[in-house]
Parts: sequence; C-alpha cells; structure tokens
Amino acid sequence: MFPIIDWNILSLEVSITAILVGLIVIDIAQPKGNSSRLVPTLSFLALGALILFWLFNGAVFGTTFNGMFVSDSLSWDFKGFFLMAMNFILTMTQQYFKTSGDRLDSFYYLLWLALLGACLLASSGDFLVLFIALEILTISLYVMTAYLKSDKLSLEAGMKYLILGALSSAFFLFGISFIYGVTHSTRFEIIKGYVDFHGMDPMMLFASILVLSAIGFKIASVPFQQWVPDVYQGAPTPVTALLSVVSKAAGFIMLIRLFFGVFNAWHIQWETVLAVLSAITMCYGNLGAMFQTNIKRLLGYSSIGHAGYLLMGAAAGSTLGASAINFYLLGYLFTNLAAFLVIVLFYNAAKSDDISDYAGLAKRSGSLAIALLLALVSLAGIPPLAGFFGKFTLLMAAVKSNLIWLALIAAVNIVISTYYYLRVVKTIYVDQPRVTTPIAVSFPVQLVIGFAITGIVVIGICQGPFLEIAMRSVNNMAFLATYVSQ
Amino acid sequence: MIGLGHYLILSGILFAIGIIGVTTSRSVLRILLSLELLLAASNLSFVTFSKFNGDYAGQLIVFFVILVAAAEVAIGLAIVVLMYRHVSSIQADDLKDLKW
Repeated sequence: MFPIIDWNILSLEVSITAILVGLIVIDIAQPKGNSSRLVPTLSFLALGALILFWLFNGAVFGTTFNGMFVSDSLSWDFKGFFLMAMNFILTMTQQYFKTSGDRLDSFYYLLWLALLGACLLASSGDFLVLFIALEILTISLYVMTAYLKSDKLSLEAGMKYLILGALSSAFFLFGISFIYGVTHSTRFEIIKGYVDFHGMDPMMLFASILVLSAIGFKIASVPFQQWVPDVYQGAPTPVTALLSVVSKAAGFIMLIRLFFGVFNAWHIQWETVLAVLSAITMCYGNLGAMFQTNIKRLLGYSSIGHAGYLLMGAAAGSTLGASAINFYLLGYLFTNLAAFLVIVLFYNAAKSDDISDYAGLAKRSGSLAIALLLALVSLAGIPPLAGFFGKFTLLMAAVKSNLIWLALIAAVNIVISTYYYLRVVKTIYVDQPRVTTPIAVSFPVQLVIGFAITGIVVIGICQGPFLEIAMRSVNNMAFLATYVSQ
Repeated sequence: MIGLGHYLILSGILFAIGIIGVTTSRSVLRILLSLELLLAASNLSFVTFSKFNGDYAGQLIVFFVILVAAAEVAIGLAIVVLMYRHVSSIQADDLKDLKW
C-alpha cells in the first residue's frame, strides 16, 4: 500500500530543496566569470521569502509518510530558529569571502543543504529519517569546514571533524540497529510504546547510550568534546557560527525528542547520567577557556561550557527544563551570532583572530565594539541581557527538580566564565590599539548587527512572550511523555 | 546451528575491530577504512535483525546506510588528497597545528 503523502506538511522542506536545486541550475546555466553576485543575492531573497512564509503562513501540524515525518510545535519553532540563524550566517559568508577570489557558489549550496538537514532533523519521526537528516547536516559541515583549500588549519579541522563525526554517527547507527532488533521498528511512536510497556531492558539501554553518544557529539558535551576547540578555530568563521548555533540546536532537538519523549520511561536513570555529564561539561569548557589567546578557540571552549548549562535543563527532566533549553538557545542564537559576525568583520580588516589584536577595538569601530561587548556580557550572564535570563530559567529548572548541587556548580562556573569574557572586554575597551585605522562597516551589515543587538536586549528585558513560545513548543510536542513533570 | 547470537557476536567483533582501528591507526586511509568497518558492522546487525524479525525494513535501511557511507568516504578521500598536497603525507600525526 502506498502511503498518502500530505505535501502541505512538507512545504518548508520542499521549498528549501527547490531553492537548492534552483541555485545549482542557475549557477550551471550562467556564463562563467560573472558568477560572484547572482547566487548570494538569490540566496538572500529566497531566505527572506522563507522567513516571511514561516512568519505569516502559520504552522501546518500533522504527520505524513506513515509517521516518519512529524510537524509539531517543537519542529516548527526550531525551523524558524534555523531560518533566523541562516540570515546571520549568509551575511557572514558574504562578508567573509568578500576578499578571497575562490569560486564559492558551492559554499552557498552547502549552507542550504545544511539548512535542509537541520529542518528534516527537527521533523523526523523515525530513526532512519533522523539518521539521514543528521548525515545531510554533518556531511555538508565536513565539506564546509575543510573549504579553505589553501589553509592548512582548515584542512586539519575538516579532517578531525570528519573522523570524529563519522565515528559518532557509526555509534548512532549501531544503536539504532539494536533498537530495531528489539522493537521491530524504527518509528518513534512504536519504540515509545515498547519502552513505556517494557521498561528497563538491557539491550535497549545499551542502544540508548549509543544514541546519546551521537547527541553528545553534536552538542559538544563531555566525553565527545575534544573536536570542538580545534574545529572551531580551524574552520572558516561562518562555519564555526553554524556549528555553534545550528548544529548545537539540532543536537538539543534530538535530546528533547528522544529523552523527553521516546525513552522517557527510564527518566530516573538518564536524568542522573545527564546531570553528571552536565557538571563535567561545564567545568571542562569554562576551565579550558580561561587562558585562550585565539578568540574562536575561546568561543569554542565557551560553547562547551554552554552545552553544560543547557544539559542542566535536560537533566531537570521537567517541561520547565526543556522550555528553558529552548529559551536559552534563542538567546544564544543572537548572542553568539553577533559575536561571530564581529569576528568576521574584524578578521577582514585585521587578518587575525588573536585576542591581543582586538586591543582598542572601541577606538577603531564603535559599533563592532558595542556588539562584541553586549555579546560577551550576555554570554557571561550579566543582567539584563538574554544570556542572564536564560541561565536564570535553567538554574530555576534544576533547583525545582532537586538538583541543587548541579545548580551550585553552574553558579560557580558562571562566575569563572565572567573572568575570561571580561578579559576580552577589557582588551577591547581599555588597552591601547596598535593599529588605529578605523574599520568601516557597510550599512546593510550594520543593520544586521543592529538586529542581533536588538535581539540580545529585547529577549533579556521582556522575556515573557519568548518564554511562552518556548513553553508552548515543548508542551505541544509530539511524543511528549505523559508523566513529564511540570 | 548458527543463530541470532552468532551474527550479533560477529557484528560486535567487527565493530570492536573498527573502534580499535580508528583509535590506533596513524594512517588516515586506515582510519577511513576502519570507519567503513564500523558502518559495515551496523549493516550486518540490521540485516540479521531483519532476517530474524521477519520484516524487510532492516534490509531497506542498509541501502540508505551504504549511500551515506559512500558520501562520507568520498569526502574523506577528498580531504586526504588535499592533505597529501599540503604536507606530502597521509599520517594523522602530520596534522597537529591546532593545539592550545
């Protein structure tokens, strides 16, 4: 029997695929030589159209392909999140490759491919679809990481990411094969029914640990974090931004879907595991970041630390914890992408990512300095910015679930993290610049920076509506286990 | 009589060899080969479960996995070629500039 397919549910993914194919065809069809403008411009226009579609068309909820593809509040909200992130990342790409003469239309296809993978991943209702979507996302990231062919660091980062990424997806696949063996299916719904009915089962527990290891790789949690600083430093900066926001968010969607839904029957066991992982991860990230001299590497360690904070919400195991994760990721999007945008623009002017070269940035470009200041201060969690309230909700979720020890460790870590973030701020504002040439920022890019700053401040000051969206998207999630506490 | 357990043990042994290969090899090509072995081990256990569960979904999944493995190894080999152009070697030790 051929399943009935409701294409309305797939509209976003179908459009992204159409855009991807369209861009490739246009690029092949156009004469050689003047290829540098058309694909970027069309990418921006297409993304604008998709964002308008997301905002005004309204979500279409439901399942199709026999339950393999699920569109629910969680996936729909995260698709908006990915589109928003793409907006910043396209700007970064356009700026980053401005000076290099490489033929880079293929970089735009890879960005769209990564977006497609992330959107499919958010909507998967079956382990096979989840695996394929994860691979679409990750494989396009491998290529983008190693994209600077003449740069040895980019090559090394690509190699490390490929080997560890392939290793983690092999773990994931091996885990799925056992889940399939035990439950006779890869469909989330059926697996959830099996787990709810049978409870603890050693083979399924083993399989879920393997699946957790793949998620741990994506979100950069201990013990799968070794790649993060190297890859963040070596990859082209737009790719680093993509890894730190889209790829991490993709990991957390999987975590929320699987551990608040499918495997939730064993919540006592995995909450303990996640709490321990969260504590180790945040300590590792924040201690590692203390003495870094390269800003991308610093943000790499800081991203491990943030994975630790976010895992705290998952360890809480309540819907409040899951909504805190969503809310924090939203703030993290604006904060981190603002920081990476400044890094790209600064790199174009100074050809360096060393923190010491940021000395006196405030005197060279006021807008860049303010954007980086707000981003770092928000990452450090100082009120009234987005990062502060995000950390506050995560801590609140942990305390409500009686994880007071974890909340204390997190509080200590937040204090430690202020040291290295403010060290960069001091370099920007207090130190004397070695080069005093002002850095020019074009008007459209200033608009994007302004948008990011607005995001950081608005989410921090009026949290209510955003927190409500985060809660709604978890509470109406498909496969949400019925006895997850509030 | 060869049963489910035997196949699964074989698949587990293959997986273990793959892990040992990835962690101990110095040559990038051998690491890529070991990664393929890991995916092959998963494929074997999919096919085994498909046979003993009596449905075809597992065999179908294997086709997708073969596709993904091919894409992965194609990119891996491309990076190896680039690496050879840069450092005239395919030993993983020769790429160690990124350190704190």
